[in-house]
Amino acid sequence: MRAEILTLALIVGAFTWAFRYLPLRADLSRLPEGGRLSRFLAATGPAAIATLFTASALPYLQGSLPLPLILGTGAVLAVFVATRSVVGATMAGSAGYGLTIWMT
Amino acid sequence: MTAQTSPTFLDGLLTGVPIVLGYFPIAFAFGVAATGQGLSPVEAFALSLIIYAGAAQFLALALVTSGAPLLVAAFTLIAMNLRHVLYGPALMKRAGPGARRRHAWAWAFGLTDEVFGAALGQLARGRRFSEPFMFGLGLAAYASWLSGTALGAYAGGGALADWPVLEAALGFMLPALFLALLLSILSRAQLPVIAVAAGATVLVTLFWSATAGILAGMIAGALAGVLGLRGRHAG
Repeated sequence: MRAEILTLALIVGAFTWAFRYLPLRADLSRLPEGGRLSRFLAATGPAAIATLFTASALPYLQGSLPLPLILGTGAVLAVFVATRSVVGATMAGSAGYGLTIWMT
Repeated sequence: MTAQTSPTFLDGLLTGVPIVLGYFPIAFAFGVAATGQGLSPVEAFALSLIIYAGAAQFLALALVTSGAPLLVAAFTLIAMNLRHVLYGPALMKRAGPGARRRHAWAWAFGLTDEVFGAALGQLARGRRFSEPFMFGLGLAAYASWLSGTALGAYAGGGALADWPVLEAALGFMLPALFLALLLSILSRAQLPVIAVAAGATVLVTLFWSATAGILAGMIAGALAGVLGLRGRHAG
């Protein structure tokens, strides 16, 4: 194993762990309900997940008509609405995307 | 499971099933890509074991194989993972003032994008926060990531070349998982937050970079929550 790869992994791994852990130590119990920071933190979750979905879907929009993306996304929506299952919706989206590519 | 009982380690493992299904093929693809670009299987596995951040690992491959200096590569990857500072406080805010975090130094290692999303989704559905649950959820995801990487590295570069449809379907697993997680925490009050986050991500990605787009989307969406959720409960 090359030393530079191990060093890179250790540096990035240490910072990533610190980013994930150290903010957890913040005492949020005295934050006023409805205050600016409370609202910021409450919106962080939906904002983060919406961002990650958008960022992961953007590469699929390049090139020709993104029919597989449309049908894959539609499959996620349909199965989630029908079953409320994150597992089922994820699998359906993947299957819908792959099947569309296979048929086109 | 009701809101009155603390979710267990096993509950966490079961909640992690969609993440397991989503992570495994992506980690497999990472292992294949890493060995395909000249890393040894041990090096590929070490990146997953130590860094444990998917997007950053794929970027690390590009940086390492392009010969980027160590400090430049490290700084780039650290900047990419900076978004994680938002997750802990957001999770604790949602968990409430009584939430224990004595062992957070350990389970926080596994607080990835998807684990954060899944934990938040469970809290939004009325489940209580518990550290055993976080350990179970995190361990399921981590085990899937490591085993996928190991198998992909063992299979070697080009393992999926003969299966393009399967490769495409597996590649779409991550956007599908993010969308399903988003739907699981969706409420009418959060629609402006989601719209602003998505719009900012697209604009900044198109005009700057994907990493900047992710940071911009999260911060813009959260700021939209500050402005638009006044007097409403955002969770």
